[in-house]
Amino acid sequence: MSSDGARAGQRVRRQNLLMAAMVAPLVLFIVFIFLWPVARFLWLAVDNSDMTGNLSRTFAAIGEWRPADGPPPEPVLAALVEDLAEARANGRDGVLAQLVNQRLVGTRYLVIRTAKDASEGKFDMRPVSEVLLAAHPGWNDPALWSEIIRASGTVTDYYLLGSLDLQRSADGGIERVPADRAVFLDALLRTVWISIVVTVICAVLAIPLAQAIVSAPPSWSRLIFALVLFPLWTSLLVRTVIWIIVLQKNGPVNAALVFTGLVPEPLTLIYTRFSLYIAMVQVLLPLMVLSLVSVMRRVPTSYMKAALSLGAPWITAWRRVQLPLIMPGILAGAAIVFVFALGYYITPMLVGGPGDQMISSYIAFYTNTTLNWGLAAALSVQLLLILLLAALLFWTARALTRRRGALA
Amino acid sequence: MLKVRHSLAIVALLTASISCAQAADAITVVGWGGNWDKAYKEGVWDKYTEQTGIKIVQEEWGGELAKIRAQVQSGSITWDLVSPEAPSVEIGCAEGLFVPLTPEITGDPTKYHPGTIMECGVASDTWATILAYNADAIPGEGPKTWADYFDVEKFPGKRGMLSQAQYTLENAMMADGVAPADVYTELRKPGGVDRAFAKLDTIKPHVVWWSSSTQAMQNLASGEVVMTDQYNARITNDIVNEKKNYKIVWEAGFFYGTDMWSVVKGSPNEKAALDLLKWFSVPENQAGFSKLYAYGTGRVEAAEYVPAEWLKNLPTSPEHAKYGATYDTQFWVENKEALEARFKAWLAQ
Repeated sequence: MSSDGARAGQRVRRQNLLMAAMVAPLVLFIVFIFLWPVARFLWLAVDNSDMTGNLSRTFAAIGEWRPADGPPPEPVLAALVEDLAEARANGRDGVLAQLVNQRLVGTRYLVIRTAKDASEGKFDMRPVSEVLLAAHPGWNDPALWSEIIRASGTVTDYYLLGSLDLQRSADGGIERVPADRAVFLDALLRTVWISIVVTVICAVLAIPLAQAIVSAPPSWSRLIFALVLFPLWTSLLVRTVIWIIVLQKNGPVNAALVFTGLVPEPLTLIYTRFSLYIAMVQVLLPLMVLSLVSVMRRVPTSYMKAALSLGAPWITAWRRVQLPLIMPGILAGAAIVFVFALGYYITPMLVGGPGDQMISSYIAFYTNTTLNWGLAAALSVQLLLILLLAALLFWTARALTRRRGALA
Repeated sequence: MLKVRHSLAIVALLTASISCAQAADAITVVGWGGNWDKAYKEGVWDKYTEQTGIKIVQEEWGGELAKIRAQVQSGSITWDLVSPEAPSVEIGCAEGLFVPLTPEITGDPTKYHPGTIMECGVASDTWATILAYNADAIPGEGPKTWADYFDVEKFPGKRGMLSQAQYTLENAMMADGVAPADVYTELRKPGGVDRAFAKLDTIKPHVVWWSSSTQAMQNLASGEVVMTDQYNARITNDIVNEKKNYKIVWEAGFFYGTDMWSVVKGSPNEKAALDLLKWFSVPENQAGFSKLYAYGTGRVEAAEYVPAEWLKNLPTSPEHAKYGATYDTQFWVENKEALEARFKAWLAQ
C-alpha cells in the first residue's frame, strides 16, 4: 500500500515537473520580452536619475539655499560648472539640457552652451560667479533655480502629476496647470468615452449579425462571415482613405442625401466624431461578432422555441432566455473591443476632428518626436490603470452573470 | 492578423541575417518613403552603386528620433545613414546619437544654403510649406497673401491646415502682417505666441485640419477645401503628373525646412556611411535628387545642374528664395513640446 502511494506521489511530482518544463519557456518569454521591458519603460515615469546623477554636486552645494535668499552663491555655481563639464565629457549634456528645458522652456541652449564653455575651462578662474553670470546671465533667473531645486530627489512625481494636468506650486503644494496647457485629463476622458461608445455600438450591431450567421444555412453563413471579416484584411490606410472619399463634402453619401432632398446642402460628415465612430466600429465589429458567434453556436435553439411555445412574447423570451445565455460572449467581445479601442490613435488622427484625438497620440508624440519618455511613460501608466480597471469590471460582470445563471 | 505579424517577424529576421551577411558592402539608408525614396534611388544612390560597387539598402521611417535612441541604447544598430528633420538632428546630436561631421566630409560649409548644414548633418532636401489653392475652385483672382488665406469673406470656402503648432504659428504671424524674416523675433517677444493664437482663432471654424499630406491633397482635389498649406513638392507633383489646376503662391511668403543626412553613431558601417556623405557633398551628385523631386539641396551650386525649367519649382530657386525664410531650429527645439501641448489644448476647445 505505502509503496503504491509513494509511486503515485512520484508520478504526480514527475507530471508537475513536466508541466513546469512545458510552461517555463512561455513564462520566461512573457517575462523577458513583455513584462520586463514594459516595467522598465513605466519606471521612466518616476525616474529622475538623469537629473540627480548629472547635477549631484550642484544639489549638494545648494543645501538650504533658496532663490529668495538672493543670487546663487559661489559654491553652487562652482559645483554647477563642474557638473556641466562632466556631463559634457560623458555626452549627457544634451539629455540634461532637455530635462531642464522641459521644466523651464527656453533654457536648453543656456545649459548646452554653459556645458561647452565649462568643458573648455572658461570658468576656471575664481570667483566663478562673476565670469559665469557675465557670460550666461540666464543663470541669474530665480525661476530657473526654483525649478532645479524642485527637480531634486531620485524619484519624481513631475511626470505623473503632469499627465494629470497638475504641477507643484512654488510652495511645494499641488495645483492645476494653467487652462491653456491642460490637455491630458480631457484627452483621457475622451479616450474612455469614445471607447465605451464604440463598444456599445459594436455590441448592438453584432448581436443580430451574429444571430444571422448562426441561424443562416451554412453557405449564407459563410458569406456573411466573410463580409464581416473583410475590414480586418484591409490595410488601415486604404480603409481610412475610403472613408474620407465616401464621407467627404462631394462624396457619394452627401450626393445621395442632397439628391433625395433629405438635406438642403451637403453635411460635414468627415473629420467629425461621427466619422470616427464609423471608422472604428468598422474595424472592431468583427472582433465582437467572432466572440458572439462562438458562444451562440453552443446555445441550443430549442430554449427560445420552448419559451415562445409557453406563451412568452418574443422580446421577453429573448431578454429572459437568450440574452443571459449569450452574455458571456457579449462580455468577452466587449472586453476585446474596449481594450483595442483605448489604444487607437492613427484612425482618430486621419478621420476624426480636432477635438477627437485620443491619449495614445500624445504617447506617440512624446515618445517619438520630443523624446520625453518620462511623460510618455506617465501617460502609459494611466492607460494601463484604465485597462486594469476595465478588466476588473468585466471580470466582476462575468462572475455575476455566472452566479445568476447558476441560481436560475 | 497574427499570421501576418508572424510572417513579418520571419521576414524581419531573414532580412536581418541577410543584411548582417552583407554588412561590408551595403549601407542601410533610411529616408521618407514613397516618391522621395524613389527619387533618391534613381537620382543619387544608383549612381553611387554604379561608381563604387557599394550597395545601398533603402528603408523608410517617419522621422521618429526614438527609433534611433532605442537602437543606440540597446547597442543593436541596423541603420547607417538616416534623414531626420533639422530639429531632431539638433536634439540627437546633443545626445550623442549622430556622428559630428568635419569639413573634410561636408566640403566648405560656407557653400551651403543657410540652415542646411549642422554639426551632425547636411541637407538631404530642403522643402517649403507654401500656400496653394485650387484654381478650379477659385476662378479669377486668387489669394496673394496669407492675409487673403485668413479672409473667408474675400475667398469663401474651407482651408486646409496642418494640425500642429510648428509651421501653423508661422503662417498665422505672416497673416497678421509680419514679414517671414521677422516672424521668430515677434514670436519670441512676450505675447508673441498669444498673437499667433489670436489670429488662428479668427479662422478656426473654417479649417479642415490635416495630419498627412495624402489627406490634405485628397481634400484639395475633392473640393473639401479651396486652399491649403502644403509641402511644395506634393503640389508640384499633382500639377505635373495629374494635370491639376493648382497654384503655388510663393510670393505670399513661405518657410523652408530641411531634412538632414546624419550618420548613426556606432553603426556597423559608420565609415562607409561617412564616405557616402563625402561623395554626396559634391554639388553635381546632390542635384540628382532635385532633378526628380521639387525640393532643394544644401549646396548652392547644385542648382547649376538642375534644368532651368524645373528649377523654378524648387523653394531654393533664386526667383522664390527671396520670399522665404528658414524655420528656426533653435526656437522649435526649445518650444516644441510646450507649444504643441498648447496647440492641442486650443484645438480641442
